[in-house]
Formats: sequence, C-alpha cells, structure tokens
Amino acid sequence: MQSRRAIDEAKKGSAEVVILAIVEREAQHGYQISKLIELRTGGSLTFTLASLYATLYRLEDRGWIKGRWVEKAGQRRRCYYRITEAGRKVLAEQREDWSRFVAALGQVAGVKYA
Amino acid sequence: MESQRNWKALVVRQAQATGAGDLPRHTIDELAAHLEDIYADALKAGRTEADAYRAAEAALLESAAALPTVPRPRTRRPDARPPQEIAAGGRITGIGGDLRFAWRQWKRSPSFAAVAILTLGLGAGAATAIFSIVDTVLLRPLPFREPDRLVTIWETNAEKGLPRERLSPVNFMDYRATQSAFSDAAAWWRPEINLAEPRLEPIRVSTIETSANLFDLLGVSTQLGPGFPQQGPFNSRDLIAVISDRLWRQRYSADPSVIGKPIEVNNGSYTIAGVMPPRFNFPDDVDLWLRLSWDYTLHSRGAHFTEAVARLQPGITVEQAARELEQVSARLAGQAPSTNGGWIARPIPLLDDMLGYYRPALIVLLAAVGLVLLTACLNVAGLLLARATARAREMAVRAALGASRARLVRQMLLESLLLAGAGTAAGAVAAIALLKGAIALLPASVPRLAQTTVDVRLLVFALAVVASTALVFGLVPALVTASARASEALKDSTRTSTGVRGHRISRVLVVAEVALACAVLVASALLVRSVTRMMNAPTGIIADGVVTATLQLENAKYPAWANVEQFYALMLEAVRRQPGIEAAGLSTAIVLQPGWRIPVAVDGRPAPRPEEAPIVQHVSVSSGYFETFRVRLLDGRLLQDSDTATAEPVIVVNETLAKRLFPGESTVGKRLISTAQQIGPLGRNLMFTSREVQSVPFRIVGVVSDVHQAPIGQAAEPVLYHSQRQFPFRAMTVVARGQDTATVVTGIRQALRGIDSAVALSNVRTMEERLITATAAPRLLTGVLVTFAVLTGLLAAIGVYGLLAWTVNERRRELAIRLALGAQPLAVARLVAVHGLALTAGGILLGLGGAQLAGGLLQDVLFQTRTTDVLAMSGAAALLIGAAVLACIAPARRAARVAPVEGMREC
Repeated sequence: MQSRRAIDEAKKGSAEVVILAIVEREAQHGYQISKLIELRTGGSLTFTLASLYATLYRLEDRGWIKGRWVEKAGQRRRCYYRITEAGRKVLAEQREDWSRFVAALGQVAGVKYA
Repeated sequence: MESQRNWKALVVRQAQATGAGDLPRHTIDELAAHLEDIYADALKAGRTEADAYRAAEAALLESAAALPTVPRPRTRRPDARPPQEIAAGGRITGIGGDLRFAWRQWKRSPSFAAVAILTLGLGAGAATAIFSIVDTVLLRPLPFREPDRLVTIWETNAEKGLPRERLSPVNFMDYRATQSAFSDAAAWWRPEINLAEPRLEPIRVSTIETSANLFDLLGVSTQLGPGFPQQGPFNSRDLIAVISDRLWRQRYSADPSVIGKPIEVNNGSYTIAGVMPPRFNFPDDVDLWLRLSWDYTLHSRGAHFTEAVARLQPGITVEQAARELEQVSARLAGQAPSTNGGWIARPIPLLDDMLGYYRPALIVLLAAVGLVLLTACLNVAGLLLARATARAREMAVRAALGASRARLVRQMLLESLLLAGAGTAAGAVAAIALLKGAIALLPASVPRLAQTTVDVRLLVFALAVVASTALVFGLVPALVTASARASEALKDSTRTSTGVRGHRISRVLVVAEVALACAVLVASALLVRSVTRMMNAPTGIIADGVVTATLQLENAKYPAWANVEQFYALMLEAVRRQPGIEAAGLSTAIVLQPGWRIPVAVDGRPAPRPEEAPIVQHVSVSSGYFETFRVRLLDGRLLQDSDTATAEPVIVVNETLAKRLFPGESTVGKRLISTAQQIGPLGRNLMFTSREVQSVPFRIVGVVSDVHQAPIGQAAEPVLYHSQRQFPFRAMTVVARGQDTATVVTGIRQALRGIDSAVALSNVRTMEERLITATAAPRLLTGVLVTFAVLTGLLAAIGVYGLLAWTVNERRRELAIRLALGAQPLAVARLVAVHGLALTAGGILLGLGGAQLAGGLLQDVLFQTRTTDVLAMSGAAALLIGAAVLACIAPARRAARVAPVEGMREC
C-alpha cells in the first residue's frame, strides 16, 4: 500500500515530464501516447482519458508541446503532438530535478535508481 | 463511418451527462478517435465486438467525472489557431476569445448596454464641457501683467440701494491719489462715437475715452505702432487713438501704414497711434481707444459715468485697498456731502468683476454638472451591481465547471472594460458636441468663452472617473462572487452573502442618486422661480410693437446745442409722418437704464443740508415718449413739443418722486431747483442761460407712473424728465410703436435719411428683445440647469426602477410563497412599491437638506427668491415622487403576477 501511494504521488508530478519525454523524439497522437506510457512504465503509470487530454491541453497551452491535425484517406483525423523548443528546455530541467530528487531520495531512504 | 458517429455521440452524451456541457469539436474528435483505437486494439487482441465496445466505453466512464476539467473553449483546429488558455500561473492570454464573449454578453442585453453607455457618455461629456468652460473663463489668469493685482473700482450707495455705480471722474482722481493702496489707476468713459471718413461708410464703433496710462497699467502693448506715450500725461489735448485688431482688419484691410493717419470721429480728428493685438478686448468689446482729452477734476462729483481699473501696490490685499477707499470716501463725504454723502468706493478683483453674474452662475453649473456626473456613475454602478448579482448563479456554475477565479474575474473585467471603453468614447464625442452647443448658446458677453476648447486633461479626468466606475463596479461583484463558495451560490443565489451585500449597496446607491437628483431639481426649480419673477418684474411700460434705436450726432457737424435740439425735433416729426408708425419719442435713458443721478432742491422749502438733498435721476425725453411706451399719466400733463428753450422750464416727475418729496400734497405746480447745467460733453441744459447761472427752478407739469429706470432687481428711484427741447443731448434713443416692427424700423431709417443720411442708426432692436436680453444670462443658466435636472431625475428614476425590477426578480420565491399562502396580488404589489417609494423619500429628504447646505452658492444667482422657497422644494419633491411612482409600476405589476407555482419551482 505504501509503495502504491508513493507512486500515485509521483504520478501527479511526473505526468507532464513523462508526456514530454514520450513526444520528445517523434510526434504522437493521444492513444499512442497513452500506450507508450503504459509500455514504458510497465503499467505502473496510466492516465484516464480525461486526465490525459487535460494534461496534453495544459502542456499545449504552456507552449511546451504543439498539436497538429493530420488527415489520412479513409481514416479518422488525428492530432499529433510534438515537443516545442520551450518544452525541450523544460524537459531538460525536469530531468535534472528528477535525477537530483531521486539521488537525494536514494541517499536518505536507500531507494536505488532504477 | 457508422462507428465514427457512434464514438462521437458516446463522447457527447457522456459529456452532457457529467455536466461538462458542450465540449469543443476537436476534443470530441480526439476522444472519439481514442475510443475507436481502444476498440480496434481490443478487436485485434481477439475480443468480441461487444466486449471491445465495452472496453472503450469503460475507458470513457472511468474518467467521466473528470471530463469537465478538460479545457474547453477551443473551437477550431489547434494547428489553425494556437490554443490560448489561461495557464495555471495566471498568464493573460486568450483576450480575443474573452472579448468576443464579452461582446456577446452585451449584445444579449442591448438596452442595458445602451443605458449604461449613454449615461456614462452624457455624464462625462457634460462634465467635461462645463469644466472646460469654467476652466477657461473662471480659472485661467487674465492675459495681463500680474492680473491678480488688478481691481476695478465702483461706487456704491447703500442708502439709495445702488450696489454698483460708475465713478464720478472727480472722485476717481482722489481714489487714484491713494498711493498707499494703488500703484496706478486708469479711468475711462464711453462716448457714443461714429467713424465718418471720406470714401468709407459711416459706422458706429464701440469706444472708450481713457486715461493714457491704461495699457501701461494692464501691461499690454500694441502689436503695431507706438500706442499711447509711456509715462505721458494723464490727459492731453493732443488727440491720439488706438484701434482694435478687428477694426484694423475690417476697415483698414490690415494696412500697416494706417499708423500716423488721421481717424475722423464725431468730436474731432484723432491720429492713429497703434493697433492692439488680436483678442485684446478691454474693458470689453471695444474697437477704439481714444486718449483722454479733458481734465477729470473739472467735472462734477455728482455725475457717475467713468469706469476704472487700478493696480494694487505689491503686498496690498483687496481688503486693505477697500479700507483705504472707505477712508477716502468718508473724507469726500465730509467735504462734499451733497454729492458724496452715502457713497463708498469699492475695489473688486478684475476677473470677478468681468465675470459678474457669470461667476456664480458658472460655479452653480459646475456643481450641478458634478452632481450629474456623480449620478451617472452611481447609476451605472447600480446597474452593474444588479447585473452581477443576477449573474452570480452563472458565475457559480462556471466556477463549478472548472473555470478558475482569475478566469471569471478576467471575464468580468473585460466586460467592464468594453463598457468603459464605449462609455468613454461616447463621453469624448458628447464633450465635443456639448461644448460646441454651449458656446453657441451662451451669450457672447461671457468673457473668454470663444477661447474655450475641450481641455484634454479634463476630458481624461472625466473619462477616468467614468471608466473607473465601470471597472470597479463591474469587477468588485465578480471578485465577491468568485470568492463566494460556488456550492453556496448554486444552491440559491438569493441567499448568498453577495446577494445581501449587493442589495444593501444598491439601496445606498439609489438613495444617493435620488438625493443628488433632488438637489439639482431644487436648484433648477429655484432658478425657474427666480427667472419667472425677473421676467414678470414690473417695468412700467408696454413693450408691444415698440422699436428702439440709438442715434449719435457728431460734434463737428452739430456744434451748437440749438442745432442738436432742432435735429431731433425734425427727426421726430419725420418719424411720426412715416406710414405704420403710431407713436414715436426720444429719451436719453429708456427702461432699465438709469438716468443721471443729481441732487435737487424743492423750491420754497428751506435748503436742506447738502447731504440730505434728494438725489434724483435726470432723463431728457421728447414729446410722445411716454405715449409710445403707454406710460400712464397720473396727474397734470405730459411734455409737449411746445416745451422749448424759449418757453417756461418744465419737468414731468414719476410717482416715486411725487410720493417721496410731496407726500399727501399735490405735486403738479411745485418747482424743483436743478443744478444740472451740463452733463459733460454729452448734454446741455439750455435753461441755464449763461455759465453764471447756478440753479434754475423747473415747474412740475405732470406725474407719470413709475418706469423702471434701473437694472432688474433694484428698487424704484425718483426720476424727473426734462424736455429734450430744453435739455438736449447729442445721443438719444429713438422709440417708435407700430403694428409691424419691421415697418417701424423702415420708417425710422426712411425718416433719418431725409434729414441727415450721414448719421448712423445703431442698436436697432425691438423693446421686447431688449427686455429678453436683460434676462438672458439667468434664463440661460436656468435652461442648462433644468436640462441637468431632468437628466439626473431620469437617472434616479432608472436607478429606482432597476433596483425594484431586480429585487422583484430576486424575491420571486418569497413573493410566490406569499401569494400561495393567500396574499392578495395587490398587497404584494404594494409591498414592492412601498419599498421603492421609501427609498425615494429618503433620497428626497437628503437632497432637500443638501440643497439647503448649498444655498449660499445659489443665493448669488437668485432674484427675489429664497433657497427655502417652499414651492420650488415641493415641486422638486413632487416631480421625483412622480418619477419614482412611474418607476415602481412595472416591477410592482410583475410582482403581483408572479405565479405561485413558478416561484416555487425556482427553488
């Protein structure tokens, strides 16, 4: 139970950085992003539909990612999100913060970097 | 394609079910696509269609509660328009969308927006226009050197009820010598002057003959030519003149070589020594300044006809100068009691004096327009507050759906800004239009009025007041609402703290509005009373069909007084012969104009002490004068053509003189001893057969009813009327009566052409026009104030209506319960009406009190009217109550018609 709660807390703070990391290399649409998060976190981090899109829109509002609608023949149109320059900077900062935080956590609580 | 619709429909249905309302299209698209992907993946993983559908549905249901948190207002494709939403940090973005929303809000209630914008615009516009006029006319220093040290000097005589008379030139020389008070003083008088030059039309020009130090004293130089010699003599036989810029341009085509050329005026040839700068108009609209050519000390102390301006010594106040002048006056009264008893000279700051009636009038206007602006602001504040409270529920719903407080406040801010912007634009337009109108309407005699332009600083100030009102009262409720607990507001908006607080503020606003409107209404009602009294003040004449015009004979052409008398006798005869003229006469002073005030003695009575000698106005009239104005003959006979210089010296007196000098006696047949041998260069009493004769007794042949020979408002004075043939003047006013005034004017012109076409006829006006002009300023002030009063009254009525309408809306539930429990609709209506009327009554009481406090300000512009005038106060109160009753009707009816069930349902 303890670990579950720690993960929940971490999820809130980390959701944004995770999404930024997912779209860092390649533009992805919402479903792809949710699948990739599930995949990369081994299922420990999942978004509900609403929270995923709320986060996406929030990131887009801040100018950290940018959505682009793509229409292909015979397919439903989809919005592909890609990271912006501002987003890259934020991601870099957050990565550093997170590593420092995890390192500190490791020293104090004996948590090892995965 | 079928599944597409299904997924979208599912999302839309779910969004509505959870209260998220209409999601943006692209959000629906994205969510639908997401669900479709889940469904497709599930199918690929080998699940059944029904199973796959359930998986997608579950994903949606899982997050249904959070759907409203998905940011909403994007309606276009995100790549076409970058998403703009307010970030958690409060960055202001998305103004465009909010502005559009605000615009839609106002469009939804156009009457509310129109009333608010109109109110703000008119308030700010009127305030700016009046402030600008007051600033230019009242507050800006005069264009003279150290204008604060300039005073005018007038003589007053409390015993005779004369508050402001011109000076005797002899007295003036004594005042001027008071060097402890004045560094210098200049004096002038106003001769009637025609310009008659070869090859140019003879014209009448407004002229003063002034001591040579006038321009020095004011600190103003000519724009062309040397002007009067500096440090030159006070008066000189060397005749020189200075002309105005206007005369120079109009008559001499701005020819610079005019300097040094002669200018022919009726009493000689002057040399033009200078042209004054444009806009220089002192003492008023004068075109010709002649240097004084005679010695002031050689005149009479009893003849008051000079005006004076003096420069105070540095450091001397007006009060100190007044004390000095009082001492001089007292000394003169001791030395020459017959002429100077009771007379006191008073200095008045030049600007105050130039403004005269307009100063208190403008201050009253300023106060009134301030109240109008304030009422306008209160009104808009009340409207916004009511609206905000009405929207509390909307705000609460939006807050519950995830709109942040900053977001709501920003929305309200934008709505207020839009209103303020429109209001200020309307205000700027109104200011320019109203100022133009005011300048056109105000009499040209208001000094410096023409120079008034919309003062940008004042406009900015007024607009700032308006804008901040709109902002503050638009925003405060938003802040209050936003901070109130949303759930509370959702439960019942009428019970929230906002509602209660809003009501209390609104009530205060309405009471204040009514109070202000009441004050302005009382002020305008008082002025209406005052002006009515003024218009109805007895003049002693019947002005119907009478035309007046002034004539001036030139000294050179009519050097002998016998010629002058002859000219007028012939002229009168010719006028009477003209068709359409029923009666005609001449006078030196017609109604509202005072005659020459000179002491007289009663023949056969012991000579009174000089200071007790009665002062009597002397007027010279021709035969036919009284008949023309239909003045009643009370006893004896009127003056006749046969009362010539060779006949017996006779006079006619007015009723006041008869009552004062001969109470209980028969007046006709008595004799008054006159010492008025000559009135300066203006007129000569031919009955003084030689210079050595000191006094002549004149037999009273008739008594006429009083003609008011003084400005409106002053008491009746004793007047004696000489025969023009015995006491001729070069300048006379011709009066003639006929059915058609145009025919009369033509007749006078025709007659004059037959006798001497070189004589200019000026000031041709009907007597009615003259009387109307005499009350022009107070009537104008009244007109403007009444407009303001109607405006504020209307605003107050709107305020009362707004409050009641809102209250009824808010209290629907309570009213419905009352009705359901058996209350009579009439009783419910009465409940609402009483509420409105109670507020109005409170406001009226406050307003009446306020008007009394401002009474001092008003008293200066009132004529025989007290600020406690019951009729004015009750009239104002009645008007307001009437307006309030009208304002109550609709809300009261609505209250009575609340359907019990409908009201109950609302809870």
